[in-house]
Amino acid sequence: MIFTVLIPLILACFIPLLSKIKEKIHTGVFVFFIPFIIFLYFIQFVGNDFSPVRQTFRWIPSLGINLDFYLDGLSLLFALLISGIGALVVLYSIYYLNKTERLGHFYVYLLMFMAAMLGVVLSDNVFVLYTFWELTSISSFLLIGYWHFNERSRYGALKSMLITIFGGLSMFGGFVLLTVVTDTTSIQAMIEQKDVILNSTYLPLILGFILLGAFTKSAQFPFHIWLPDAMEAPTPVSAYLHSATMVKAGLFLVARFSPVFSTYEWFFIIVSLVGIVTLCWGSYMAVRQTDLKAILAFSTISQLGMIMAMLGFGTEIAVFAAVFHILNHATFKGSLFMVAGIVDHETGTRDIRKLGGLITFLPITGTLALFGTFSMAGIPLPFLNGFYSKELFFESSLDLAGASTFADLLAQAIPYLAVFGSIFTFVYSLYFLFGTFAGKADLAKLPKKPHEAPFGMLVSPIILVLGVILIGLFPNVVNGTFLAHAAEAIKGVSIEKHITFWHGFNYTPLQMTLIVVGLGLVLVLTRKKWAGAYHILPGKLSLNRLYNAILDKLDDWTKDVTQSYMTGSLRLYVAIIIGATLVVTAIVMLVTGGFNIQFNDLADVTAIEVSVVVIMVIAALGTIVAKNNVSAILILGVVGYGVAILFVLYRAPDLALTQLVIETVTVVLFLLCFYHMPKLRKRNESAGTKTINLIISIGFGALLTLVGISAHSSKWFDSIADYFIETSKPLGGGHNIVNVILVDMRGFDTLFEITVLGLAALAIYSLIKLKKGAK
Amino acid sequence: MEIIILILAGILFATAIYNLLQKQLLRIIIGTALLSHGAHLFILTMGKLKRGQPPIIMEGISDYVDPLPQALILTSIVISFGVTSLLLVLAYRTANENNSDDMAQLRGDEHE
Amino acid sequence: MSNLAVLPIIIPLISGIILAFFHNKVNTARWLTRVFILVNLGVVSYITWFVFHNGTIVLETGGWKAPYGIVLVADPLAITLVLTTNIIAAACAFYTPHSMDLKQETHYFYTFFFLLIAGVSGAFITGDLFNLFVFYEVLLMASYALIVLGGGKVQLRESLKYVLINLFSSVLFVTSVAFLYSVVGTVNMAHIAERVQDVDQKGILTTIAVLFFFVFATKAALFPLYYWMPKSYIVPNPVISALFGALLTKVGVYSILRVFSLIFIYKLDLTHQAFIWIAGLSMIFGIIGALSTSNIKLIVAYNIIPAIGFIMMGIGVFNQDGISGSIYYLVHDMIIKCALFLLVGTVAYVAGTSDLRKFSGLIHYYPLLGWLVFVSAFVLAGIPPFSGFIGKLLLLKGALSANEVAIVILALLSSLLILYSIMKIFINGFWGKKDESIIVERKPVKGLIGPIVFLLAFSVILGLGAEFIYPSIESISTYLLDPEVYIKSVLKE
Repeated sequence: MIFTVLIPLILACFIPLLSKIKEKIHTGVFVFFIPFIIFLYFIQFVGNDFSPVRQTFRWIPSLGINLDFYLDGLSLLFALLISGIGALVVLYSIYYLNKTERLGHFYVYLLMFMAAMLGVVLSDNVFVLYTFWELTSISSFLLIGYWHFNERSRYGALKSMLITIFGGLSMFGGFVLLTVVTDTTSIQAMIEQKDVILNSTYLPLILGFILLGAFTKSAQFPFHIWLPDAMEAPTPVSAYLHSATMVKAGLFLVARFSPVFSTYEWFFIIVSLVGIVTLCWGSYMAVRQTDLKAILAFSTISQLGMIMAMLGFGTEIAVFAAVFHILNHATFKGSLFMVAGIVDHETGTRDIRKLGGLITFLPITGTLALFGTFSMAGIPLPFLNGFYSKELFFESSLDLAGASTFADLLAQAIPYLAVFGSIFTFVYSLYFLFGTFAGKADLAKLPKKPHEAPFGMLVSPIILVLGVILIGLFPNVVNGTFLAHAAEAIKGVSIEKHITFWHGFNYTPLQMTLIVVGLGLVLVLTRKKWAGAYHILPGKLSLNRLYNAILDKLDDWTKDVTQSYMTGSLRLYVAIIIGATLVVTAIVMLVTGGFNIQFNDLADVTAIEVSVVVIMVIAALGTIVAKNNVSAILILGVVGYGVAILFVLYRAPDLALTQLVIETVTVVLFLLCFYHMPKLRKRNESAGTKTINLIISIGFGALLTLVGISAHSSKWFDSIADYFIETSKPLGGGHNIVNVILVDMRGFDTLFEITVLGLAALAIYSLIKLKKGAK
Repeated sequence: MEIIILILAGILFATAIYNLLQKQLLRIIIGTALLSHGAHLFILTMGKLKRGQPPIIMEGISDYVDPLPQALILTSIVISFGVTSLLLVLAYRTANENNSDDMAQLRGDEHE
Repeated sequence: MSNLAVLPIIIPLISGIILAFFHNKVNTARWLTRVFILVNLGVVSYITWFVFHNGTIVLETGGWKAPYGIVLVADPLAITLVLTTNIIAAACAFYTPHSMDLKQETHYFYTFFFLLIAGVSGAFITGDLFNLFVFYEVLLMASYALIVLGGGKVQLRESLKYVLINLFSSVLFVTSVAFLYSVVGTVNMAHIAERVQDVDQKGILTTIAVLFFFVFATKAALFPLYYWMPKSYIVPNPVISALFGALLTKVGVYSILRVFSLIFIYKLDLTHQAFIWIAGLSMIFGIIGALSTSNIKLIVAYNIIPAIGFIMMGIGVFNQDGISGSIYYLVHDMIIKCALFLLVGTVAYVAGTSDLRKFSGLIHYYPLLGWLVFVSAFVLAGIPPFSGFIGKLLLLKGALSANEVAIVILALLSSLLILYSIMKIFINGFWGKKDESIIVERKPVKGLIGPIVFLLAFSVILGLGAEFIYPSIESISTYLLDPEVYIKSVLKE
C-alpha cells in the first residue's frame, strides 16, 4: 500500500528531467501511468468479501508517529476516486496544457498532491494524516498559483493557503488533544476508546478543532470563500483537487471520526447545520455567477454541504447516501469541469454572458454537459446517478429527530432547507447548460471561432459521463461491493441499501423531487425577474469583503501597533525595559514576602565613611545638573574616586588600586572623546517625561537597595570564601587571597576577562581604522 | 553601615538610570559609568564589610574580609573598562557620522 | 577525558587569536577559518557522542574541586547546543567570503567570529554563575565588535542602542549574582541549586530569581524586553545578522532554561505560570511586528520573538513533553533562523533592496533561491515533516497535558501568521511577472546558497529523522527535570 504513496513522489523527482523532452513527448504521458497503475491496484480490493487491510512502517515510533496505513471501505472509495479521476485528469491535461507551459512544475505539483491525498485517506496515524493534509494544502497552493504572473492567481493561492492551513492547524490541535486524552496516535484505537473521548472535558474543544479543519478544507460556509478564487488554477486542477478529491478531504475527516462523535449531540447539530446552510448558500450563489467555473465552484460548495449534512445526520441511510453521493458527485462534477475547460479552450472565454448556442459547434461536449447537469440537478430519470443519491438525501432528511429542543427544531427544518437548496441546484444546473449551449450563438463576442474539441480531450469526460449513466442504470452493482464497505467504516455496521428507481407516488422524497423540479422550472424561466434578490442578500454582506478587510486591516493595524512603540527612541526602550523589570520584581517581592532586614550583624558607622558617602551622593546628583562637559566628567570622576576610597576603607587594597588607575584612564578617555563634542544642553523634556524618568530611576534604585538589604539580611549559608582563605597559602601558594583567586581558583574567569579586553581593543581599532577607509 | 552603602549604591543606580533616560549622549554614557560604580558597591557589600583584615595572609591573623566579592569586582572593573572605552569611541563616531549627539534624533525608520 | 569539556571553548579562542595575525591575508584567513571551524565541529561532534554515551563531563578548572573552583559541565543539554552552534558557525564561515566586504573581512572579522563562538560555547558549558557572566561579556564584546564592523551612520546608531541596552543588563546580571551569593554563599550553579532547595526558595530568593529572569529575558528578546533587537539585528552584514539571530537570543533563553530548571523550581505556580503569559505575549507582539513591515530582514528579525515565546511556553509548563519540546524547538530555531537570515540577506543582495514593495518575479531568475524561501517558510511555521513540527507537537502536548488551552490556541494561530509573514516574501517577491527592469544583472549566488542548503538539510533531518534525535532530546528533558543528577555529577557527593 505504501508504494501507492511513494510512487508519485518518486516520479515527481524525475519530472524535471522528463520535462526536458516535453517538445517530443508531452510530460503528462509519463505521468498518466502512475494513477492508472494505482487505480488498478486498488480496484482489486473491490468485492463483496472485502475486509480492511493494515500495513505499518516505522518512522518515529518513540513519538508514536508511524506510517500506519489502513485500507477500509472508506479509504478504498477515496483511493479509487483519487487514482481514477487522477488518471482521467492527467489524460485530459495532456490536451489542455500546451507544450509551451511549464509542464515540469505542473506535474510535480500534481504528483505531490496525488501522493499526499492518498496519504490522507490511507493514514491511520493522526500525525501522518496531518502531515499529508498540509501537503495537500501546499500543493493546492502551488497549483492555484501556477500562473502566478496573474494577480488573481496569487490572490487565490494565498487565500486558499491561509484558510486551509488555518483549518489544518486547528485540526492538528484537535489531534494533539485526542492523543493526550487517549494516549494513542492511531485513529482506529481512538475509535475503540470513544467512551474515554466522549467523557473527556475536552470533548467540545476536540470536536471544534477537528470540525474547523474539515469545514475549511471542504469549503463549508463561511469558509467556502477560498474555493471560487481557487478557480484561477488550470481547469484539470479544478476538476481534480477542487471538486473531486481535495475538497472532499474534509468530508473524509468527518466520516473518519464519526464513529467517535456520532452519539454526541453537538456533532449532529453543528455538522448538519453547517452542511445544510452551505448547501443552500452555495446553490443560491451559484445562480448569480457569470463565469462557468465560478458556477461550478459554488455548485461544488453546495454539493459538499449536502454530503456534509448527511454525515451530520448520521443515520444509516444518510451515511449510505453520503458515500453514494461522494462517488456520484465526482463523476458528474468532474465531467462538467472538463466541459467548462473545453468551452474555455475552444472559445477563449468562460463568461456565460458571451456564450450560448454552442450545441451546434460543440455537439459532443454539449451532450456530455446535458448528462452532467441533469444528474447534478437530480432530475428523475433512471440513467442518472445523481437522482438516486439526491432522493436518498431527501429520504434521510425526513426521519431525523433531535434530543434537545434546538436539535429537534433543526431536525424539523432540515427537509425544507434541503428542498430549498435543491431548487437552486436545479436552477443553476439548467442555467449552466442552457446559458452555454442553448439559444443563439453570438460569435462576435467570442475571442475564438468555436469548434469541437480534439478527441483526446473528450475521452475523459466521456468516461465520466459513462460512469454517470452506468451507475444510474445499475446502481446496485456498486452497492454491496463497494459502498456498503465504505458506509460500514463510518457507521460501524454494514449497510446495504437496495436502490430502486420507483417507489410509487406516495413516496415523500419523490414528491419533494417534483416540487424541486416544478419550482425550479418556474425560477429558471423567471430568472431575470427575481435576480434583484441578490441586491438584498448577500447585497453588501460579502464574506470576501470581510476576508479582504481582515487582511488589509491586519496590515494597517500591525503597522500602527508596532510603530507606536518601535519608535527607535532609546529613551523609550530603556524606560520600558527598566520599568517592566521594576514593576514585576517589586510585585514578586511583595507577593512572596521577600523583604527582610536585620540590624544585628552590621558594621559600625563612622564619620569618615559617612562623609565619603555624602560626597558621592552629591557628586552623583551633580552629574545630572552639570551644565558643561568637563565639569560633568570631572564630577563623575569624583564618584569613581569615592568608590576607590570606599575600597580602601573596606579593606580591598587591590580593588582600590585598580579603581584609581582605571578611573583616571576613563576620565581621560571621556575628556578626549567629549571635549570636542557639543556642549551639554539644557534638558527640555516635558514635565510628564520628567516625572516618568524620576519614578523609574528612583524606583529602580530603591528596588535594588531593598533587594540588597534583604539579600544581606538573609545569609543562610557559609560562604565558599572560607575555603579560599584556608587554602590560599597551602594549595594556591600565595599570600594575597584575592590574587590567588584571580589567577588560580578562578583563573578561568581571568583568562576570558583578558579576552574581553583584547576584543575591545581590536574593536576600537577597527572602529577607528575602518572609518578612514570609508571616507 | 552596610545599609548606608546599599542606599548609596541604590542612589548611584537611580542617578545612573536618570542619566540613561536623557537624550544627550554624554549624559547617557555618564549614566553607564555610574551604573557600574553602583554595581561594584553592591557586590562589595554582599560580603560583609570590615569584618576582618584585608585578605592577605599574615601570621597570627585568622579573620579576613570576604575575598570572593573582591575578586569578582576586580574582574568586573576590568570588563566595564573595556566596554566603556568601546562605548566612548562608538559614541564619538556615531555622533560624528550622524552629526548629532541627540538620541531623540537618532531614531531611524523601517527601510534603511 | 574530562578535559574534553574545555575544548569547544579553547579551540575557537585559539583560532581567533591565530587569525588575528592573519587579518591582512584574506585568503589564508579564509582557509584557516574553514579548517578551524571544521576541526571544531568534528571535535564537538565527538564530545557530543561521548557525552551521550558516557554521561556528563565535568571539568574542574585548575584542579580546584567543586564548588570552589570554576567547573565546566558538558552535560547533554549544553553539548547539544554547542554542536548546533558549530553547525551554524560552519555555514556562516562558508557564506562569509561571498557576502562580506573585503574591508570588513580584513578588519578582524574572523577573530571576532571565533571569539563569539568561544563565548557562546562557554556560556552553554560553564557551571558557574559568575563565569557565565564572564562568557556573556565575551560574546557581547565580540558582538559589539561585529555589529559596528565597518558601519556607516545607520549601523553605528543602532549599534549604540544595542550596546547600551546590553550594558545595562550586564550590570544587572553581575549585581544579581552578588545578591544571590550573599544569600547562598556560593556561585557554583550546582551548589546554588542544592542550597536553594535546602531553604525551599524562601524569602528574597524568588525576587532574585526574577531579576535573573529579566537579565536573561532582555538578551533573549522576550516580551516586553525585545525593543532593542529587531532593528539592531538587521543593520550589519547578513552573516552577522545570522549569527546574532541564531545564537545570541538563544543564549538568553538557554540561561532561562538552565536556571529555571536547575535552581529556581520551587515556586512554579508563580514563576513558571508567568512564563506562559510572557510566552503568549511574545508570540502576539512578535507576530504583530513581523506582519507590520515590508522590510524582509525585519520580517525575519521579528520572527525571533514568537519563536522564543514557543520555547518559553515549554519551560513554563515544565513537564517532560514541554521541556523536550523547548529543547527541540531551540535547536530547530537556531538552525532555521540562521538559514533565514542568510536567505533574506541573499534575496536583498540580488534584489538590491530589502523593501518587498520594490521587487517581484525573482523566481524567473533565481528559482532555487525562491524555493528555499518557500521551504523555509514551512519549516519556520512548523509544518510537517520539517523540524519545527516535532518541536511544536511536543510543546502542544506538554501544554495540553498541563491544561493550558489558551496558549495552545495562540500557538496554533501564530504558526499560521508566521507562515503568512514569510510566505509574503515568496508570493510578492518571487512570484509575479518577469520584470526586466528590476534586475539589472544576474548576480552569482552559488556560494551564497550552498550554506543555506546545508542548514535546511539539517532542518529536514531533524524533522524526517526525528527518530534518531528525539530519544536524546527526551533523555535531556528527563535529566533536566531531575536536578539531583546535575547536582550530584558536579558536587560528587
